[in-house]
Amino acid sequence: MKALVLLSDARHPVSGRPAPAATELQAVALAHTLADEVNGLHAGPDAEAARGALGHGLTRLEHRQLTAGDDPLPSLVAAIGTAPPDLVLAGPRAGAGAQTGLLPYCLAEALGWPIVADAVSLAVADGVLEVIQALPKGARRRWRMRLPAVITVHPAAPAAASFALGVARKGQVVETPGLPARIEGPPVAERPYRPRPRLIASAAAGAGAAERLKAATQATGPGGQVMVAPPPEAAARAILDHLRAIGVLKPAERG
Amino acid sequence: MTAASDPAFGLGLLVALLAACAAVVAARAALRWRIGRAARVDRGTGVDWMAGLLAVPRRYLVDVHHVVARDPHAARMHALAAGGLLAGSTLALLGLVPPLGASRLFWITTALAFLLALVGGAMVARRRYPRRPARLSGGTFQRLPLLLVAYGGGALLVALAATLGDPLAPLGWLGLAMAAIGGFGLVRQLAGGPMRHAFAGALHLAAHPRPGRFEGERATALMPADLEAPRLGVATPADFAWNQLLGFDACIQCGRCEVACPAFAAGQPLNPKRLIQDLAGAFKSGPPAYAGSPYPNARPVAGIGGPDLPIVGAGALIHPDTIWSCTTCRACVEECPMMIEHVDAIVDLRRFQTMELAAVPAGAIPTLSESRYAEEPGGRPLSARTDFAAGLPLPLIADKGSCDVLLWLGAGAYELRHGRTLRALVELLRRASIDYAVLGAEERDCGDLARRLGDEATFADLARANIATLSRYAFRRILTADPHALHVLRNEYPAFGGHYELIHHSAFLDELTAEGRLNLVAMPDGRLTYHDPCYLGRYNGETEAPRRLLDRLGLERVEMERHGKRAMCCGGGGGAPVSDIAGDRRIPDIRMAQARATGAATVAVACPQCAAMLEGVTGDVAQVRDLAELVLAAVEAAPASQGAGR
Repeated sequence: MKALVLLSDARHPVSGRPAPAATELQAVALAHTLADEVNGLHAGPDAEAARGALGHGLTRLEHRQLTAGDDPLPSLVAAIGTAPPDLVLAGPRAGAGAQTGLLPYCLAEALGWPIVADAVSLAVADGVLEVIQALPKGARRRWRMRLPAVITVHPAAPAAASFALGVARKGQVVETPGLPARIEGPPVAERPYRPRPRLIASAAAGAGAAERLKAATQATGPGGQVMVAPPPEAAARAILDHLRAIGVLKPAERG
Repeated sequence: MTAASDPAFGLGLLVALLAACAAVVAARAALRWRIGRAARVDRGTGVDWMAGLLAVPRRYLVDVHHVVARDPHAARMHALAAGGLLAGSTLALLGLVPPLGASRLFWITTALAFLLALVGGAMVARRRYPRRPARLSGGTFQRLPLLLVAYGGGALLVALAATLGDPLAPLGWLGLAMAAIGGFGLVRQLAGGPMRHAFAGALHLAAHPRPGRFEGERATALMPADLEAPRLGVATPADFAWNQLLGFDACIQCGRCEVACPAFAAGQPLNPKRLIQDLAGAFKSGPPAYAGSPYPNARPVAGIGGPDLPIVGAGALIHPDTIWSCTTCRACVEECPMMIEHVDAIVDLRRFQTMELAAVPAGAIPTLSESRYAEEPGGRPLSARTDFAAGLPLPLIADKGSCDVLLWLGAGAYELRHGRTLRALVELLRRASIDYAVLGAEERDCGDLARRLGDEATFADLARANIATLSRYAFRRILTADPHALHVLRNEYPAFGGHYELIHHSAFLDELTAEGRLNLVAMPDGRLTYHDPCYLGRYNGETEAPRRLLDRLGLERVEMERHGKRAMCCGGGGGAPVSDIAGDRRIPDIRMAQARATGAATVAVACPQCAAMLEGVTGDVAQVRDLAELVLAAVEAAPASQGAGR
């Protein structure tokens, strides 16, 4: 079992100092539940933050050197391609910088591997990976898949190990030049953050406090109605009915 | 006379034989310390044998006696038993010299010495029989008084027979037999029994890791760990310095540490006496059975140990919960008549757990991570440290360049409770026209918490960063209301190249009031008791200034039974609140009950940890007020026109 953790050039959210990202350290801890040796991979100009993960249980860090502004994806694909691990773990998004959260998906697509987001627990039996995935409001979903796979780790995963100097001293860093690649695709636009109204399920008007609390807090999760290839009219009716049921649209007028 | 001197001559030979046997047993026991690393001493390069051995009598008669004499009965008992035994045995040995052996006066003196030993032995017996106090160990320790009485009493008979001559000769032979049984029994106890403390204790005084303790210094700073060592901290007995192993062997299991230990009192799985016995037994093939009180709520361990086997772990000798229960309050060290350094051993064990195994209690992980990556154990922005002072003038030293008093705020500044204290202190500084400033966002955590939790690497980083910051500014001294920061900056930064004059706010306010720079009116406000912070009283010996200051306020001050350097911990030190090891009770509840038992309506504190821990107590509580708050109230009550420098 070989596990590889992707590490970003993260900053501490409060101090702004280079520090390994919390979810990536949790990924290291999660990988240790499956493998004794956990390798790390960072592609970028500076590996100082990623190096910190060596003190939290990472055995070996491979640093693919890039100049600032280069796309790390080709370098990551190349590094993974030379000695493919069974499992690639990553945080949900980088610890600093662009933070689109798309990189694990792009990587899975480039490798042709399946991806499961927001894992909180991993187990492997006979080459089959069992992932417990975190869903909103504490719900959990179990996935089974063949290895290899890409997994992103949810903050609700078990706590990361604390920093240990003795562990950090044993860790090795391998520096290799990366593949220079300009970032393709449309330029990313920046605009101020705008909080969006949250869709809260509400009980029908006039319901008691207990019902309203239940409606607002109960996991709606998966479930509901599954329609396979329905006619468009039926699908539209089902969506309208659902929106009316949860109170987003006014009830249908009678008559 | 010749016939009567026969048993006396036999006694001389017996003592010579016993001394030879004792030397062999002691040498074999001493060889076991060689497994340890090079000696560790908090100053110089190693053990100064010459000075150490020469100082043993003084260290024993002054420093050890000072501790033993807190229990006057035990002091008399030990003086009689040990003094009588040594004096009598030496005299009996000298009796082999013909002119002395023939002297009646000589044998009367010898008889007197053994009479004292017999009385001492009887006192030991009376203390242990019919019922043994809980803090004392049983097993071989229960046989000790019998052996002392047999040896002292037997030798007394021999000496009496030698004095009185023929009519008592048969009694002399009986005495010789008794002395032989008792004497060989005592020698057997040298290897692993109670008598081990006699020779290990004497050598421990000579090779003590903190010789300054015998020269009036507090000598409480933790010694830096060698971060280049192949193994960080202590995993096996062989990782301890040999003079630490010697120190463990010096333990006489008197149990004074377990009586003083706050974690033991709270039912957490720590008993300092048991811990030292586990450490002393860890490097021996067949350690003697322990017959004292156990760790309270002991977690199960495999009980497997050896010179090169791990000490801490569920599969070893000591459960990790035991070492994480310690609040590093040093009460055990303060009470130990053998001058054993328990806290050093615990921190050494923690260092291995933290820096090699990353095996810290779950609650301590965020604290250590934030100390490392945010330079603040709570992960709070350094710039928010001065938020407590909104509306008060708090000049930055970066703007002023220099000041007379640099105010070190500490982690307590983020807490609402300690923020009130600091506001009072800043207001007092302002009223006394002190030239003060703070570091503001340049003040990092002092590293106390990381260091006590065994993360020496993070502590060293923080210490170096703070020392670099402080080196850029000119100030006369550093004032702080946090005894933990006081201790670290005053006593532990010098090893990293930072030498500062530190003053605690209790001493500073005492100074200001003595100089008349603050006018107070005495304001009798009910009965008050003062809780000594461990890191101020025990660690730095500052117990008088806070009391002088309180007395200036005209309050009726009463003392708790445990106060001053022997005060009980609030439970807030050593990372204990974040490690959070379960027990039967909470330490601050015990301390608050002690405060209430004095009838005090207010408990004065001088430390943010103490304030937080004692304020967390519910039910029948005394009001918790910091010294600065009490002083400010008294200053505000004074007529405004007299206020200096407004």
